Amino acid sequence: MAARGLLLMGQCMPCIKHNASKIRIRRMELDKNLNMYFKKDTFYFAHDPQKLCKTGDVVLIRELPERMTRLITHSVEKVVYPLGDITDPITGKKVVVGKYREDIEMANQLFGKSDKAFDYEKAPPRGRLEGTKDFTHGETYIKYHEDGTEQPFAV
Amino acid sequence: MPFMKGREPIRRTLKYLNEGKLVLKDNVRIFSVCYNTYGNHHSGARDLVFWNIPQIQFRNPDVQVVTLKNIAPSPFVRCFFEDGRDMIIDIDSKNRDEIVEHLINVVGKTRKQLVAEARLAESKDNPANFGYGCERHCICEIPGQMSCPGTVPLPEDVRGKFKFAAK
Repeated sequence: MAARGLLLMGQCMPCIKHNASKIRIRRMELDKNLNMYFKKDTFYFAHDPQKLCKTGDVVLIRELPERMTRLITHSVEKVVYPLGDITDPITGKKVVVGKYREDIEMANQLFGKSDKAFDYEKAPPRGRLEGTKDFTHGETYIKYHEDGTEQPFAV
Repeated sequence: MPFMKGREPIRRTLKYLNEGKLVLKDNVRIFSVCYNTYGNHHSGARDLVFWNIPQIQFRNPDVQVVTLKNIAPSPFVRCFFEDGRDMIIDIDSKNRDEIVEHLINVVGKTRKQLVAEARLAESKDNPANFGYGCERHCICEIPGQMSCPGTVPLPEDVRGKFKFAAK
């Protein structure tokens, strides 16, 4: 049974910890009465000093031989599918949901590209708008107190 | 007696779940299927997820079975092994049965291995044991042993209350 938590694949969730990221692991749990599998979420804190994974990325985490702190039990091994920048593992080309980026560019060349359209080549890596417009890196909470300071993560 | 509720409720029977043919090898840790909800070439993958994923998870309770939707143009199965390496299996435009057969050949245990493992699981029970779950309930069933004190009282020379009574 010790083999259960060794290597897991999950999605990165917003987290304020400095060296760690919160990962959501979706496991299937059998309901004994219905004999049906339902998704069950478990949250793990994975050691990630370089902040390799951002919110929404699908990552591979591995259990540490001995836990670092009471909560940090795993470490991020590999970012499998970064959000927005997924590489199709079969062909190796960049994809956007169901289409290859080169196909989209070809269609844009034929039909004409809008000026405001997102340019994948010129766009900087993810995180440019963090703090100004992108607030996915921290957990949100319902505003309970107005104390004059700016509370960007308060909903 | 009404029919079971839901779409294709046969998938929810123990008999169906036990009939899963794909038992993954011991070093497979994560089994992930990526498919789209649209497109004819994904229909085999969609059928696989609908019919066979519960069977795979039932026969491999220690493996994390993940389904990811609408990621890439063509469907694939990605297995992650103990040492972190992964294996990608292309299932584009394949039938559900072909996919399962291919997976058994590549990452599944062979029938011979499964039969051997089943035989090992059976023979762990020691036939010399008695009690609940064993072949014989009590030693009194064996000819040559004492009859059960529940039916016939034991002889007085083996009963403590007579042996150690005041002489």
